[in-house]
Amino acid sequence: MKKTAKTARGTKTKQAASGLIHPIIIYPFKQPNDYSDLEALYALVARLASEPESYARPITIMDRKTFYTMEGNRAFLEFRDNTVARHSETLDAWCVDTCQMWYEGLGAAFERGADNDVYWLIPGDFNYGSTAGQEVLGGLHDLPEIILELDQDVCVGEIATGHNNSKHLIDTYGTFALLYTWFPAEAQEIRQFTERPRSEFFALRHGFLREALMQRWYPYEQTVVMLLQAVFSKKRISRFLVGNISDLPEGREPLAPALQQVERTERVLKSVWRERNQFRGDWVELYRQLEARSEQVRRAAFTILQNHLT
Amino acid sequence: MSPYGYQKPLRAVSFICHATQAAAVSLVGDFNDWDPKAHPMKRMPDRSWLLTINLKHGHHRYAFLVDGVLNLDPRAQGITRNDKGERVSLVPVS
Repeated sequence: MKKTAKTARGTKTKQAASGLIHPIIIYPFKQPNDYSDLEALYALVARLASEPESYARPITIMDRKTFYTMEGNRAFLEFRDNTVARHSETLDAWCVDTCQMWYEGLGAAFERGADNDVYWLIPGDFNYGSTAGQEVLGGLHDLPEIILELDQDVCVGEIATGHNNSKHLIDTYGTFALLYTWFPAEAQEIRQFTERPRSEFFALRHGFLREALMQRWYPYEQTVVMLLQAVFSKKRISRFLVGNISDLPEGREPLAPALQQVERTERVLKSVWRERNQFRGDWVELYRQLEARSEQVRRAAFTILQNHLT
Repeated sequence: MSPYGYQKPLRAVSFICHATQAAAVSLVGDFNDWDPKAHPMKRMPDRSWLLTINLKHGHHRYAFLVDGVLNLDPRAQGITRNDKGERVSLVPVS
């Protein structure tokens, strides 16, 4: 399938190589009062929906709890019917968390896809209406295109942040410190590509999505697990900078959710480690040693985050 | 040239390498089959290296060959691997 250049801001044409791109939009769990960010996002979705030769019909996944919380709100219902449903297929699902929304959405798209297709996850809870958000929105299309053009398996989108941004602190002192504890070689490989192993912006190829879906036992930190799987099975990883929000005022995350994110990462890494090592004769002793180190890392992260976020 | 006479548009892209101590720097990438002789870079008065070339619309893998050693571009928008498995930089052209 081939296509020549056209196009509106935010979408880049060119050949769809040999596969379709499936956009999957994760609708925000908590409906914002101001619709400007979602309007900017769905302007992009509308453009994608108008290019069926390159893009499959976009899928929006919406948690039923979001719907029932807002079912009496006219503005929400109008936006859902006139914008979301107009430009995408709405997939309603009961989800325990955002990761389950990803799983539902990517799984639904996978069932409609084919071997050469690419799946593009677009988180809905980003300030796309802002100047920095517009920059991100304009660069997101690069992620699936890199996979198609350069024959990659996964492309992670990175947003540059300042050193005191809570996401940066969590990743530096929590995610990577724990990754280096449980999977040192793989952590090194991942860090060669990205400083944001929990990024919600990514695209991946059909074959790798199949593996990721089939091996998906863990309820949290999907991107970290996916990157580990990519390194385990020597997949082709790329990273692309989609925007820079380092100049914006700091969006400080409260300490409690920041700690929760570190704890969740630790739980996931323990699960993945046990799954890969439980057949070794000495796994219990090794696990105890790593767990002790991991606890030290988590406590150090706690102290650092407490100093920065309170 | 395509069978319909349409040629993908080219865009001028400038590459800058701050290898001030290097004796020779060249630009290598998918666009020149990673040939070290295809695109030698020019030394600038501040001792950095500059080259502007025309690239087709799309994403291109590249690196700087600094005195024979492959170097990533620290200002690149992306990172990937080339066909040899070496880490290289990525530039989008739109």
